[in-house]
Amino acid sequence: MVTFLARLFRSSVMIKIIMAVSGLGIIGFLLAHLTGNLLMFGGPEKINAYGQSLRDLGPVLWLLRGGILLFFIAHIWSAIMLGKRNRAARPIGYAMKKPIKATVFSRTMMLSGLTVFAFVAFHLAHYTFGKIQPEFFNREYTLHDGRVTHNVYEMVVYGFENPAYTLLYVLCMTLLGFHLSHALTSAMQTFGLNNPKYSKFLRRLGPSFAVIIVAAYLSIPVSVITGILKHKADIEHTALSNEGGIIKEMKQ
Amino acid sequence: MKLTLDIWRQKSANAEGKMVSYEVDDISPDMSFLEMLDVLNERLLEKGEDSVAFDHDCREGICGMCSLMINGMPHGPERATTTCQLHMRKFHDGQRITIEPWRASSFPVVKDLAVDRSAFDRIVQKGGFISANTGNAPDANAIPIPKKDADIAMDAAACIGCGACVAVCKNSSAMLFVAAKASHFGHLPQGQPERYERVIKMVEQADAEGFGSCSNTYDCEAACPKEISVRHIARLNRDYLRASLFGE
Repeated sequence: MVTFLARLFRSSVMIKIIMAVSGLGIIGFLLAHLTGNLLMFGGPEKINAYGQSLRDLGPVLWLLRGGILLFFIAHIWSAIMLGKRNRAARPIGYAMKKPIKATVFSRTMMLSGLTVFAFVAFHLAHYTFGKIQPEFFNREYTLHDGRVTHNVYEMVVYGFENPAYTLLYVLCMTLLGFHLSHALTSAMQTFGLNNPKYSKFLRRLGPSFAVIIVAAYLSIPVSVITGILKHKADIEHTALSNEGGIIKEMKQ
Repeated sequence: MKLTLDIWRQKSANAEGKMVSYEVDDISPDMSFLEMLDVLNERLLEKGEDSVAFDHDCREGICGMCSLMINGMPHGPERATTTCQLHMRKFHDGQRITIEPWRASSFPVVKDLAVDRSAFDRIVQKGGFISANTGNAPDANAIPIPKKDADIAMDAAACIGCGACVAVCKNSSAMLFVAAKASHFGHLPQGQPERYERVIKMVEQADAEGFGSCSNTYDCEAACPKEISVRHIARLNRDYLRASLFGE
């Protein structure tokens, strides 16, 4: 047991496996988070009820948050451990060095990872702790069952109406995409999955997954900017004027 | 051909090194890269200067002694070619060529362009062998080996241990080398008894030597003069994981 644990936390191959496993855990979180985000398209009732249902989980929510935190800690710890070793492995660099096959994404994992991490901190301050744009944080919404909850929907629409936040979001999501495009395929290699039978599929897995995830995440700011997602008041207003239109048509 | 060479000069392991420029002319395009360096050295010696030290041996592309980072690429710009098999016709007249030693803390510079690659030998000593009882040689056909396995083992065994994988890797990782050695035995029946012990010991030694970890950028596969596939690294990871989790 002792040898096993010592190896687990010292061997470069095992630290890579910790990085890959925790990375897959974070990918799971990204997917769950995205499913929640896409409820924006279902209107305020859907996403606000979803937000309330998460809070209703109580201790289970904290268990989930603990799990996510653990994945992040393991991922960052392994990056620090490997990064330190890798830098020490080449104290004197080359005067001239050309990458042959390595993609720019695979060579900048530390940079894209750090950016995403910084974004996560900002994002938590923004939408979990309400320290950024506090004026939109405590808006209330009355669910159909009469319960009063956070108005997540309005908060998101207000957030993306600010061009600076939207730009930051687009930039960070793009870098997340860069990170994912190498990460997923690389994790498969770390687990030892590489066989001519499916290697072509695995090579495309990371980049395709990255494009889909980033496009899905960006669909929300794009929808706010283009007016597909509007303030609730606007929706009511449009609905009313439509009704008016129908009435008018009926009169004719 | 007339060339300008920027070469790393370092008197000894502990001396400070620097890039020095040399002009060489009358270089035939049919010369190998090492022959071009031989010409430079003869001229330096004629002038009473110290010649440029570089590693070389068979000059047939099979011994693994030659190295050199040429214009930012191990063994130069030609794929699947060692420096000794690289010809000057791959360069153009008047070109400026940067020549550096392999850069890794595990490959200390001995002099100029020559580095000490005995870290690789120590990794091989940990598991790059099979244990066999002495006595009469067994009948060659006594152990059936599927053609596919023999081919994979042979591909891995093509590794000449030149260190281009370490030199090109952004982490100076020796994973391709270790994986090639492990696969070479791991695919054959004779290598099975020590298969899992081998991967554990060789990876441990590579870590101890100070090589970096694998980031799966696959530059090693592209730089390898023997075109050894990163599939062997996946196999090493697999065996390593299995040995760690289920090994006795």
